[in-house]
Amino acid sequence: METQNRLWRVLLLALPILVFSVLVIWPLLSSFYYSFTNWNGFNRDYEFLGLRNFAKIWTDRLFFNAIVNTTIWMVAALVLPTLTGLFLALLLDRQVRGARIFKTVFYLPICLSAIVVGQIWIWIYQPDWGLLNTFVKLAGNPDFNYAWLARPDSALFAVIVAWSWQQTGLSMVIYLAGLTSIPSEMLEVCEIEGATAWQRIWRVVIPLLTPSTVVVVALSMINSLKGFDILYIMTGGGPFNSSDTLAMHMYNESFKKYLMGYGSAISVVLFLIALTVIGVYFRQLRKVDEIYG
Amino acid sequence: MARVELRNIHKSFGATEVIRGVDLTIGSGEFMVFVGPSGCGKSTILRLISGLESVSSGQILFDGEDMTRTAPSKRQLAMVFQSYALFPHLTVAENIGFGLSLGKTPKTEITRRVTEVAKILQLDSLLDRTPRQLSGGQRQRVAIGRSIIRNPKVFLFDEPLSNLDAALRVSMRLEIARLHRKLGDVTMIYVTHDQIEAMTLADRIVVLNGGRIEQVGTPMEVYENPANTFVAGFVGAPSMNFIRCCVDGDGVARFGPAGIRPTRPHEVSGDALLGIRPEHLALVDSGQGTFDAEIELVERLGAESLVYLRAPFLERAITVRAGGALGLSEQKLVGVQVDLTNLHVFSPSSPTLKQDP
Repeated sequence: METQNRLWRVLLLALPILVFSVLVIWPLLSSFYYSFTNWNGFNRDYEFLGLRNFAKIWTDRLFFNAIVNTTIWMVAALVLPTLTGLFLALLLDRQVRGARIFKTVFYLPICLSAIVVGQIWIWIYQPDWGLLNTFVKLAGNPDFNYAWLARPDSALFAVIVAWSWQQTGLSMVIYLAGLTSIPSEMLEVCEIEGATAWQRIWRVVIPLLTPSTVVVVALSMINSLKGFDILYIMTGGGPFNSSDTLAMHMYNESFKKYLMGYGSAISVVLFLIALTVIGVYFRQLRKVDEIYG
Repeated sequence: MARVELRNIHKSFGATEVIRGVDLTIGSGEFMVFVGPSGCGKSTILRLISGLESVSSGQILFDGEDMTRTAPSKRQLAMVFQSYALFPHLTVAENIGFGLSLGKTPKTEITRRVTEVAKILQLDSLLDRTPRQLSGGQRQRVAIGRSIIRNPKVFLFDEPLSNLDAALRVSMRLEIARLHRKLGDVTMIYVTHDQIEAMTLADRIVVLNGGRIEQVGTPMEVYENPANTFVAGFVGAPSMNFIRCCVDGDGVARFGPAGIRPTRPHEVSGDALLGIRPEHLALVDSGQGTFDAEIELVERLGAESLVYLRAPFLERAITVRAGGALGLSEQKLVGVQVDLTNLHVFSPSSPTLKQDP
């Protein structure tokens, strides 16, 4: 009986391990391998280049452009949804009328795929009849027809807004859960000690929400590193590479220019950056754990 | 420092009335303890005094001034919670100085006052720690520190020792008593379900039941002259024994084969309940006491033993407090001697404490 149970356990675990290995471990190791080659993605023949792909990265102007854009993307994609989510949670945590409906409405975008969100915002940003420009026109600028996604100085930020719109619901829900876990006595202490609403939020509520912030930041970070589809659908990295992030750049090099070897080298660098960011994050996490347990 | 008056206080949550007309005056500098079983409304009254809950009707006055609708922060009171409610992200010093730091008190003044309070509570060496690095007793001292730093007129304690283990509870109890003496005439209102805390700390005790006051008095008054069977049964551990009896025209209480005449004056005749504390019963040889009963169980507590007795005419077992080294065995028939000077006679319609049989 015991051996049969064990056999079942091994069998049941083997399947997900196999799927994980084929879909995650194997591609991860392969891209490490191909980053040292000049494979084009199709041919069986390729040569070993040693570290030449990595040396090429240093001279690639577009790579550094992508690094800058990725940094902007990550910071903005982390900060914006976190702040708006926190703001909405604080607003909707009280017994306001219709709070439930608003919570549902704000959460809905997270249920949509990035492609759908992208399409919605392409429509909003459309220069001639898009929602945004229509409002600006109605507000007294009849000739306004700014092409948000076609201008290098606004394209990346326009996508960041769309991304934040989708991600806000997630951080809002996590913060709402965090707010319910704050012991009511702590807020009552504020009431007795005479804290203003601002002091209560700034000095007590937000610090006590740190465990929730940890989760929101982790999810936002992981999601933003993965953020590719929405950029792909809205700008494709353009115009003039102005919204080209590392993930976009890697895709373009690998699948558009068929430089799979070089693309793999970029993905290795992206992997190392992600690893460093997450490493730093986990170190900070330990400090949080010491205070909040 | 402040006299607290409650005038005909009612409080309902929805359709449920939890406080049903409470009138009470707590003297300036008095240590008043609210006791009662869970759900009796003791914490609710404390929260009404603090302003954290608003009354449904009635008035709350501090030194004659109507505070019924005043915000909690304007009532000049401090509250210590069962859960301590310390801020985990602040150090001990920051927690103690929290209230002062919200106002315009200069930093140097806050530091001076925090140091002063920390010294009183023996927290001086822990000022840089965070609450997680403290023991339960130290945490509660920090919570007390946070409340005394603003020199409040009224102190409210909501079961402050319930989260501590038995040994710490005893030492913290002493510390609170010492603090009350040290702070002079500060009014303290303390909620507990622990009778020992109530008896040892209180100047006066308020016994509550179902949102009403059953009795107010000094601990010994309440213990020696309980107003009804509820108070008699609730105050004192082990509980007072109750024996159903009939008081005849001569004032003799009869139950089973026994007939005794209580010496305390009372106005009950006919069906009645005799209340006898376990220490007012003595074990004697069978046939030598007021009545005989069989030993059901003996609990040996070291310094004393609790002997549970049964007899056919007793509704439930009665408890006798006896000496520690008792050579008694279960199922033995013994005589029970009743101390007639400490007998209480209650009317059977008096409010009773619900007890397990």
